Amino acid sequence: MRPDLSVVILSLIGLGAAAVVALWWKDTPVIHTTGDLLTGAGQVLGLLSGYGFVVLVALMARLPPLEHGIGTDRLARWHAMGGRYVITLVTGHVLFIIWGYAVTGHEQLTRQTVSLLVNYPDVMMATVAWFLLLGIAAFSARAARRRLSYETWYYAHLYTYLAIALAFSHQFADGASFESSLTARVVWSALYATVGALIGWYRFITPLRMAARHRFTVQAVRPEAPGTVSVLICGRDFDKLHAQPGQFFRWRFLTRELWWQSHPYSMSAMPRPDLMRITVKARGEHSGSLAHLKPGTKVIAEGPYGAFTPTLTRRRVLLIAGGVGITPIRAMFAALPKRLVGGITLVYRASDPRDVLFSRELDAIAADRNAALYYVIGSREELGYDPLAPGVLQRMVPGLHRHEAYICGPPGMTQAAVTSLRTAGVPGRRIHRESFDF
Amino acid sequence: MLRAVLTLTGTAAGLAALLTFKSHPATIAAAAPPAAPTATSGATSSPAPTSASKSHPAAGKSATPSKSQAAVGNSQAAAARTVTGAVANTQYGPMQIQLTLTGQKITNVTVLQRTNDGSESDEIDSNAIPKLTSETLAAQSAQINAVSGASYTSMGYIQSLQSALDKAK
Repeated sequence: MRPDLSVVILSLIGLGAAAVVALWWKDTPVIHTTGDLLTGAGQVLGLLSGYGFVVLVALMARLPPLEHGIGTDRLARWHAMGGRYVITLVTGHVLFIIWGYAVTGHEQLTRQTVSLLVNYPDVMMATVAWFLLLGIAAFSARAARRRLSYETWYYAHLYTYLAIALAFSHQFADGASFESSLTARVVWSALYATVGALIGWYRFITPLRMAARHRFTVQAVRPEAPGTVSVLICGRDFDKLHAQPGQFFRWRFLTRELWWQSHPYSMSAMPRPDLMRITVKARGEHSGSLAHLKPGTKVIAEGPYGAFTPTLTRRRVLLIAGGVGITPIRAMFAALPKRLVGGITLVYRASDPRDVLFSRELDAIAADRNAALYYVIGSREELGYDPLAPGVLQRMVPGLHRHEAYICGPPGMTQAAVTSLRTAGVPGRRIHRESFDF
Repeated sequence: MLRAVLTLTGTAAGLAALLTFKSHPATIAAAAPPAAPTATSGATSSPAPTSASKSHPAAGKSATPSKSQAAVGNSQAAAARTVTGAVANTQYGPMQIQLTLTGQKITNVTVLQRTNDGSESDEIDSNAIPKLTSETLAAQSAQINAVSGASYTSMGYIQSLQSALDKAK
C-alpha cells in the first residue's frame, strides 16, 4: 500500500482540528452554569463543523499531490465518511446552541429558536444551509443512491457550495471566538479563500486549459464485448500528459446529454502522442451512452489521476484483474518496463466468457514478454472452488510472497484478493489496489 | 458502522472532557463565593487575596479605571452602597454600569450608559443586558460569558463591571 502521504494528510487535518479547539479554549471564559456548558458544546461543534466542511471540499479539489499520493478512490471514501461525520457535528451544533441559549435566557425552546432566527444576524441563512446539508446527506445515503439517478445525486451535491456560502457569514456575525479576534477572522477567511481558489483552479480552469492544449476529440467507438466499448480519442501532445500505466482521466464528452457530467475511466493502453484509448463497461446512464458517441465529438479531459501505478521494483509482479478492472491492468501489463521486472503473472477473473476483454491483445503481450496469463472464468459455484483462496494463488504463482501485487476489480473481489495475499504472506506495502466504487 | 460509533463516542467523550476542564476556574479564589450568610459584618471578606485574583475579566483585558466617579462607599458596614464602574468605550458607544452591594454581595446592577449606535444597538442591548446582569448576579464576579451577537456590549459591560468590583473592595 502506498504509505506516508495519507498519514501526513490525516495528521495535518487533526492538527487543524486541534488548533480550532484551541481557538475556542482561548476566548471562552470559565463555564459556570448549565447554560454555559450547553452553549460551549454548541460553539465547539460549530467551529469544528466550519473547519470540517472546508476540509471535505479540499479533499475533492483534485489537488495533484493528493490524487497521486493518496488516490482518488481513497479520497472519495474519506470524503464520504467525513461528510457523514461533519453533518452529525453541525446538527449537534444547532441543537446545543438552541438548548444552551434557552437555558441561559430562561426561555422556552421554541421561543428561543424563533428568537435566534429573528434576532441574530445571518442565522436564518445558516439554518437554510443546515437544511440543505441534511438534504444532501439524505440524497447521498447508500439507500437513496440505489434508487435515485446519478443526475439527482449530482445536482443535490452541487448545493453544498451554496450551503457553505450561506453559512459563512453567521460564523463571524455570531461566533464568539471570531467576534473578539481579528486574527481568527483573517486566518479563517484565508482558509476558505485558499480552498476556494484551489477548486477554481483545479476543477474549472485546468480542464479548460488542457482541452485547449490537447484538443481531445472522439475518433472512433469499438465494441469489445456485450455492454463494453472502447473509445479512441485523438488529439495532440498526449506524451506531455505524463500519464503512467494504471492511471485514469475524468472525461466530459461535449454532447447535449453528457456535457454536464464528468466520469473517470482508465486508459486501457498507454497513449501515443496523438491517440488514447479508454474502455468502458455500461453500468449506468453515462457509461451506457458512450456506445453512441459520434466521431468528432469534442471532449474535456482532466488528469492523469490515480495512485494505482507501478512502482519501480526488481520483484516479480502479480496482476489480478476482476471484470472491467482489466482496463488499467492491461495498460500495466503492456507497459511494465521489461528490464526491471523479474517476471509477470496476470490472473484475469471474469464471471462469463463473454465478459473477457482484450483476449487477443493479452495473449500477444504474454507471448511477447514471456509472462504467465491465467483466465479464471465462472462464478465460484461453477468452478467449485475459490480461485482467489490463498492456497490456490500460491499454486498458481510460485514464490507468491515475494511478489509485488496489483489488484483492480469490484470492491468485494478486490478485498477478497487482498486478504488472500496477506494470508499468503505478501506484506501490505507490496499490495496495490484500485476499486471502482466511486 | 463500528467505526462510525467509535468516532462519535470519541467525539462526545472529547467534548465532555473539554467542557469539564473549562468548568474549573483558573485559580481557586477567582470565583468569588456567594456572599457570606451574615449580611451584618463586612469583615467576612478578606481583601487582599480576592482582589488579586479578580484581575481576569472575561474579555481578556484588565480594566484600568481611569476616572473615579463619585459615590464610592468604603465603609464595610452592611448598608447598601453603590459603586460606579469606569466608562468602557466600545466601537458602538460607551458602557458604564453601577453596582449595588450589600457588604460584598452584588444585589443589583444598573446600566448608566450603554451603546448608542442606533436601533440595532437598542435591540442587541435589550437582549444582552438582562442576560449579562443575571449572569453577574449568579457569578458574583466579572467571570461571566459574553453574549453571542453582542460582543461589544458584553466586553464594555464586563470591563466596567470589573472596574466597579475593583473599587468595591
